Amino acid sequence: MNESTSQSESGQVPIRNSQSEFRNSEMIVFDDVSKFYGEILGINRVSLHIAPGITSLVGPNGAGKSTLMNLMTGLLRPSRGRITILGIPTDQPEQLFRKLGYCTQFDSFPRGLTGEEFIRSFLLVHGVERRKAKELTQVALERVSLVEAGKRKMAAYSKGMRQRIRLAQAIAHQPEVMILDEPLNGLDPMVRAETIALFRKLAAEGLHLIISSHILHEVDMMSDRVILLNNGYVVAEGNVHGVRDEMQDRPMQILIRCDKPAKLAARVFDKDHVVEARLHDDRLGLFVKTRDSDRFYLMLNSVVAEGEINIESIAPVDDDLSAVYQYLIGSEGSNS
Amino acid sequence: MAVYEHTYKQYLGKLTPEWSRFLVIPRHAFRDVFKSKLFTAFYVVCFIPLLVEAILIYLHHNVNALAILQVNVRELVPIDATFFETFVSLQGSFAFFVALLVGPPLVARDLRNNALPLYLCRPFSRTEYVIGKMSVLLILLSGMTWVPQLLLFLFQSYLEGFRWFIDNLWIASAIFIASVVWILLLALLSQAISALVKWRVVASAALLGLFFIPSIFGEVVNNLFMTRWGNIISLGALIKNVTSGLFGTFVRSTGHVIGRNGRIVREIVMTEPPLWASWLVLFVICAACLALLSWKVKAYEVVR
Repeated sequence: MNESTSQSESGQVPIRNSQSEFRNSEMIVFDDVSKFYGEILGINRVSLHIAPGITSLVGPNGAGKSTLMNLMTGLLRPSRGRITILGIPTDQPEQLFRKLGYCTQFDSFPRGLTGEEFIRSFLLVHGVERRKAKELTQVALERVSLVEAGKRKMAAYSKGMRQRIRLAQAIAHQPEVMILDEPLNGLDPMVRAETIALFRKLAAEGLHLIISSHILHEVDMMSDRVILLNNGYVVAEGNVHGVRDEMQDRPMQILIRCDKPAKLAARVFDKDHVVEARLHDDRLGLFVKTRDSDRFYLMLNSVVAEGEINIESIAPVDDDLSAVYQYLIGSEGSNS
Repeated sequence: MAVYEHTYKQYLGKLTPEWSRFLVIPRHAFRDVFKSKLFTAFYVVCFIPLLVEAILIYLHHNVNALAILQVNVRELVPIDATFFETFVSLQGSFAFFVALLVGPPLVARDLRNNALPLYLCRPFSRTEYVIGKMSVLLILLSGMTWVPQLLLFLFQSYLEGFRWFIDNLWIASAIFIASVVWILLLALLSQAISALVKWRVVASAALLGLFFIPSIFGEVVNNLFMTRWGNIISLGALIKNVTSGLFGTFVRSTGHVIGRNGRIVREIVMTEPPLWASWLVLFVICAACLALLSWKVKAYEVVR
């Protein structure tokens, strides 16, 4: 492997699961950061330690997602606090942008350029030598499956291709941190799946991917962790399931598919951690709300062991990002 | 999900010098600009006065050619400071129209499409971006003003001799400074307007208006108050004064005769603003343009 290639022999390498196992120089660190636009609050007192992997920023419009992204890229300066990206303060663009790639939502491309020329030009702005820039352009186009289209003028690109060429320009200089603003917008399902797979591959290689998205089920599917923002404050941060588990005031909803839901309802009602039990409309399932899911699952084990009720499936109904979002941010953001 | 050990390596190869990176911007802009055949034709037309200038210089030193054309050398315009000043001013007028065609969309297009983050999320500062955009005009306009003018000055020196070159070296510096001041003013003004007005046509109209409306107003002031101080708000007059000053042809006070029925009623001495005032106003305009660019050229304009 030469000095500039990014291909990894990934997959067969040690794993570090916990955020605490990373040093600050390997993480994106927000230390008590606030940003005010005059008297208007952008974000307030944000402290974060973001480890490699896919981190999604979620929140309604005006929550502070863009502010957070722009602060990370150094395009905005914090009013208070300090931000470092892999140990580099964001006010040092020369070093910062060697490590950081930004895929904005812009939809403007220099007229008359082909995809290849577009990526190569911005590599030259990065200071990459002409010959090397050509090589890196090909690598980036391959990554976003645009090798053939790269020779065509961008004016003829579809929305999905434009989205991918944006992504290619962000990864072309082989950054270690990628900040992606709505990268899945306008992509058809196939390309969307390919792009998510690419994100997962990059994350597996140890990249930081910070993604803002409004499509909650996709965020849920691809993210290692989420940062929920509302009104400039971080409402929750971490793994979705971990966040959901910590919401003790919101009982967990579980759907149990079984042959005797009424009987099961009678069994679960006398448990103090069960707050609600409701039959499914087709009368072949039971919705249960419990404050302690672990105890509830233990109880279900004993029901299964007794063999009186035949349980087909057990699935948490609100252990996903949509539910967490709904609970923490409410309906004000659900449409955004 | 598990996070894997860091196996990805960033690009650590050789880098080009920081100062040269802004050149990527004019390279693409030139390709874009010269795609228009109309513009290319106009740019070529801009060189016709230079051709005339070259012919005049040549004729001055070619007896055979004069004989064929049956022209006496005294009938030709002398090759002196006024000769070069005239052509510098003429090229300046062409430069204005080139700036009008090329300048307005340069920054406006990026601002309109929120494309500035595309440039600024790289090791590329706002200053480098502005220099890159301005260099499009600076290079184009230099190519049709001071560069060919200095070549023609050298041509004249070659034909006239080394003594003439030494004695008139100050003309070369006047050609250079007058042209650079003019193209710098054009570049800054068109960039500032381009940053302020996001639509090309409106930006072009604004640039045109900025040159002509104050000039008209200044002329009204001049005629009403029998003065030349109205020129202080006319960009054209300011540049003319500065250029004249550099070529040593600036006359501050001019007599103006008011007559009625063939009789002299009154003679008034009209006084131009002093040269330092013209320089000062140009400096203030350039500073204002820079301040405007610094205010508008930002990765994000936050509107909440």
